[in-house]
Amino acid sequence: MTTAADDFLDLSDIQGIVVKAYSRFGFPVARYVLFRIDLPAHGRKFVVGITPMITTGVRWTDPASIPSAATNIAFTYKGLKHLDVLDASLHGFSDEFSMGMKARRDIVGDTGPNHPRHWDPVWHNESETGQHVHILVTIDGKGETEVEARYRQILALLVECPGVVQLSGQRGGGSDDLPYQPAAAIPPKPEEAGFPGGKEHFGYSDGISTTFFKGCGADPMEVIGEDKPVKGDPRTLEGWAPVAAGELIFGYPDEAFEYPEAPGPPLFSRNGTYLVYRKLHENTGSFESYLEAEGARFPGGKEALAAKFAGRWRNGAPLATFPTQESADRYIAELSALQLKVWAGQASPAEQARYQELALQLVALDYGDDKDGARCPFGAHTRRVNPRSALRFGNKKAFADDPGALSNRRRVLRRGLPYGRSETPARDDGDHGIVIMIVNADLSRQFEFVQQQWITFGNDFKLANDQDPLPGNHGTSKNCRAGGRMII
Amino acid sequence: MSNIAGKAYAMNVITPLKWLTTLRTRLIFWGAGKLPSTTLGLVTLSLIHYARWVILRPKDFPHLGPEQPKEDLQYCYMLFFSNFNGSWDQYVDSFSSTIPTGLDSFWYKNIKYTNSIPMLPFHRYITWNQIWTDNYYNAYPMASTNDVKSAQKVRQNLIDFARSTANATPDDFQRQYNKLLLSLQHDLSQMGLNPVVSLSASAVDRRLGKERRGVS
Repeated sequence: MTTAADDFLDLSDIQGIVVKAYSRFGFPVARYVLFRIDLPAHGRKFVVGITPMITTGVRWTDPASIPSAATNIAFTYKGLKHLDVLDASLHGFSDEFSMGMKARRDIVGDTGPNHPRHWDPVWHNESETGQHVHILVTIDGKGETEVEARYRQILALLVECPGVVQLSGQRGGGSDDLPYQPAAAIPPKPEEAGFPGGKEHFGYSDGISTTFFKGCGADPMEVIGEDKPVKGDPRTLEGWAPVAAGELIFGYPDEAFEYPEAPGPPLFSRNGTYLVYRKLHENTGSFESYLEAEGARFPGGKEALAAKFAGRWRNGAPLATFPTQESADRYIAELSALQLKVWAGQASPAEQARYQELALQLVALDYGDDKDGARCPFGAHTRRVNPRSALRFGNKKAFADDPGALSNRRRVLRRGLPYGRSETPARDDGDHGIVIMIVNADLSRQFEFVQQQWITFGNDFKLANDQDPLPGNHGTSKNCRAGGRMII
Repeated sequence: MSNIAGKAYAMNVITPLKWLTTLRTRLIFWGAGKLPSTTLGLVTLSLIHYARWVILRPKDFPHLGPEQPKEDLQYCYMLFFSNFNGSWDQYVDSFSSTIPTGLDSFWYKNIKYTNSIPMLPFHRYITWNQIWTDNYYNAYPMASTNDVKSAQKVRQNLIDFARSTANATPDDFQRQYNKLLLSLQHDLSQMGLNPVVSLSASAVDRRLGKERRGVS
């Protein structure tokens, strides 16, 4: 039984990183800092010290209320143990969390080139007495200066807490021993000003769609295309409904009208959630050379091939709505020109209305008119990780009252930024990729399921063992070429 | 003993129900058989090989000989038997997400049935009543039911293609071949091993592998 009160989230007690995609609030720079707790008392003192800096999910109602930097914190299971959290509470965590992602590598497909032994050194040498990652602190800011200032503020806490140690060993900038993971949005090229989303190293506009959930406080119009499909036109509000907050946050009802399983007592876990931290290297050289070689033989060329991989053109236009490069380019050109005017406050009411109409087309789709995958292949990245109504395979009478019945309980929140610079994109071995953080209330049903069944497997899409062409684990052959397969 | 063979999982669930309830349940089964649209959601779940519901009366249980003690069964029983691809959770959750009303009408007033939503009590109900599989064999361990259907389609289409192009000109052959590829594009994906859906199952596999190889 749920009540109306369940639809109101205690945003002041939920961390900002859960509720807000910071890049949408003008925070293009981040640092991810890891700590180990040697002395529980010092660990607790550190947590008390950093608490006033923690950014909450309270809505920023006007630009003046947006801080210059946002800080958030997450703990590993061992971290909580080293804070002396009671065993009774620790036992309430899921196996997936208490085991940690390394131990779950066979489930999530972190094998071969993705095996933990290839992860950054900070994750190595883990033993009961050795180095352990206990705390993750994320700092997002408007610029490097703001992030640096907050970073210094946090490190100053360590003076009083020598039993908390900052862990180095993150890879980047030619070093294997960085004291933190730097990340930053990739600045758009002049000709890409106003494009939707930020760019990642393969050249795709990214972060276009995010999950809209009950009580998140965002503009209600953002529910269109960003949440669970319901009966109704997917281009309008009638086609979508917010996902239940309990899918993403402890202490609220989920899509099955239950409170997600969480450790007790309720005060300990309510408003918390699970956050998955992954650093994904991008093989830009292999990707570009593959596109060049195969794109020469593919109708539409390399850009069309890149679009088939992602389900979006590299400029962000969804393939299911804009099947040709010409239509996608025309659409994005109009959208980005209007976007610049809106940002500058120079858009007329008519232009603003047109902008809203165009912006909706970025996300307002459910694959109902592309049931055979003729436009967007079944195996395209965005169709896999957010299938919307696609798992009905065009059978509109199936799950008629709940078109997203097979996908609504797999929704997650995506956070994070690209890291590094691919200054030599012809090579794979630079330090560049994406730090992705995934927020969900059930690691097994949500993150692990999507990672295993939808990214590193294909049966739900009737694609046998084919994997996601982008984040799938395609292994490497003897000549260091990946061995993936995709039907387009 | 394993419920898993290759990509397939076998599930048997036996739940008691009262005599009077069986009459209604039989009627529901009959109606579902007559109106295929009522099971459309089930059919669309491509992870399922098949699912079957059978009502057993007390006298239907085998009595193999006088040495087998007689049982005094108070209820009828509903046997649910299904083979599917994926994990137990994926299967059970798919059922309750997509056809909650169908499940609730099939199980209706079976003893202590909880309804398919909320999910956790439903999970407990299924787990409590599941009979673990002693022997399970899979002729095509690397194939899911989707893969088998695709393979059948590819085979039949290839046979038809070979027949229809036996005397085709090279140009016509090429044209028809391209058409064939287009029609089969969703059936040409690559089969492989099942992903590791359970660390316990994979640990058992590794142990058995070691035993077969004579490694301690």
